[in-house]
Amino acid sequence: METATHMLRTGQRGTLFQLQMALRDLRTSFQRIGLAWSLATHDVGSRYRGSILGPFWITLSMGLMVLGIGFVYANLFHIALQTFLPYVALGIVFFGVMTGAINEGCDTFVQAAGMLSQTSLPMFTFVWRTMFRTLINLGHHLVIVVAVLAYYGYWRMAHPLLALVGIGLMLANASWASMLAGIASARFRDIPQIVVSVMQFAIFMTPVFWPADKFGAHRAVLDFNPFYHLLQAVRAPLLGQAVAPLSYIVLVTMAVVGWTFTFAIFARTRRRIVHYL
Amino acid sequence: MTPAPVSITCTDLTLRFPVYGVDAKSLKKAIARVTVGGALGRHAGITDVTALQGVNLQLKAGDRLGLIGHNGSGKTTLLRALSGAYEPDEGAIEVHGRIAALLDLSLGIDATATGYENIRLRGRIAGLSSKDIDGKMDEIAAFTGLGPFLAMPVKTYSAGMQARLAFAAATAVEADVLLMDEWIAVGDAEFQKLAHKRLLKLVERAGILVLATHEAPLLKLYCNKVMRLDGGVASEVLDIRRLDELLAR
Repeated sequence: METATHMLRTGQRGTLFQLQMALRDLRTSFQRIGLAWSLATHDVGSRYRGSILGPFWITLSMGLMVLGIGFVYANLFHIALQTFLPYVALGIVFFGVMTGAINEGCDTFVQAAGMLSQTSLPMFTFVWRTMFRTLINLGHHLVIVVAVLAYYGYWRMAHPLLALVGIGLMLANASWASMLAGIASARFRDIPQIVVSVMQFAIFMTPVFWPADKFGAHRAVLDFNPFYHLLQAVRAPLLGQAVAPLSYIVLVTMAVVGWTFTFAIFARTRRRIVHYL
Repeated sequence: MTPAPVSITCTDLTLRFPVYGVDAKSLKKAIARVTVGGALGRHAGITDVTALQGVNLQLKAGDRLGLIGHNGSGKTTLLRALSGAYEPDEGAIEVHGRIAALLDLSLGIDATATGYENIRLRGRIAGLSSKDIDGKMDEIAAFTGLGPFLAMPVKTYSAGMQARLAFAAATAVEADVLLMDEWIAVGDAEFQKLAHKRLLKLVERAGILVLATHEAPLLKLYCNKVMRLDGGVASEVLDIRRLDELLAR
């Protein structure tokens, strides 16, 4: 058993051993979860150091975007603002969780190169650091979500508990995607560019800015878009709508398959990641 | 459970590095390799370098080992392996005791953050809790001798001031096993004296010291044992009095 005062590293190989070591990494990262939080708060703090509003620039810039897109698209689609603004606000904010986690995930290990090459800190610590940073950003965005929902009176029909389940599923999926992007980006320098392009493509292909029912006859296509399900599980309950059971099936399956795959990749590459950097 | 006494054991430690060249980091080339079916050579762009080969090492409390060898002989790699960052390809490393690796003074230094914030960050990375750091802050701050500058961003510091800050923060940890790459000469003459005193104290407190350096006077000052690395192959561990003999080889 590894403790703070005992370290054993061997050249032992084999799938079982690699899995054990990967699990140990995960366990240690939870024991030192405070470190990931400290790093994340430091990251956010230093990004906005010296600015007047500090991290609330996150809130302000998001607020502007939501208002702008809300007004323009509500007119284009001839939808009442009170229906469309909350829809867009939730869409942009929660799609932002996915983009944030996955795009910044590309930097997870590259950014930590210095620390990884001279300490035995668990790799997962840096995955949680990225996820915590995403959560801190979400926290600032929630101000807008709450304001819009309250202003238009949606709090009366919203199902916050169901939305929490949705957020949980979203995070479960965002975290494996984030970690996978981190490992792949450490190994191949093309990955971050690919990831950014895919996420940009996804935000336009997913009903974030536009209402899903405008898709008309092609609506079934949406069922093949994982981001649609991710968004629905959070957005629909907050707008007082029902979530299709299919969405939950897709999200749970995706989380299980995704984590299994990512963890297997991690177990295989764990001892090499430090050399990729 | 009583903690096991402080010790370092390396058994037949072999460490190979895949060095990923520019070609190996390109996804296009990797795909080409797969589709062309190895015509380009299965390991195109990835060169395996054997950094350490069959290193055997046994240290116990009170040992202060100096590592000597040419550039690229594997000194830093051995230190990184002992810190737990690099895993062996063959053999094993076992360390009992809290490890502090002072390999890179700039670890966890954020130039846009203030001196205080950097001390805090460095402490958290070293495994201290926020409360531990609060308790040590005054002592660390006093040691840096930077006074009011600690509240300013590190990017405004001179190189010497940065070195002071980094040194103070890095040496605030309590450790049983201290791993150091040569960087002892930091700051001005006055600070070097202070740094020397602090290091000696740290070495006394630490059970084991492993120090990689090219300078014989430093070795004689801090170490009681010495080992030479040549192309990743280690000599036997000798008493420091036989340093000249080892250097002459």
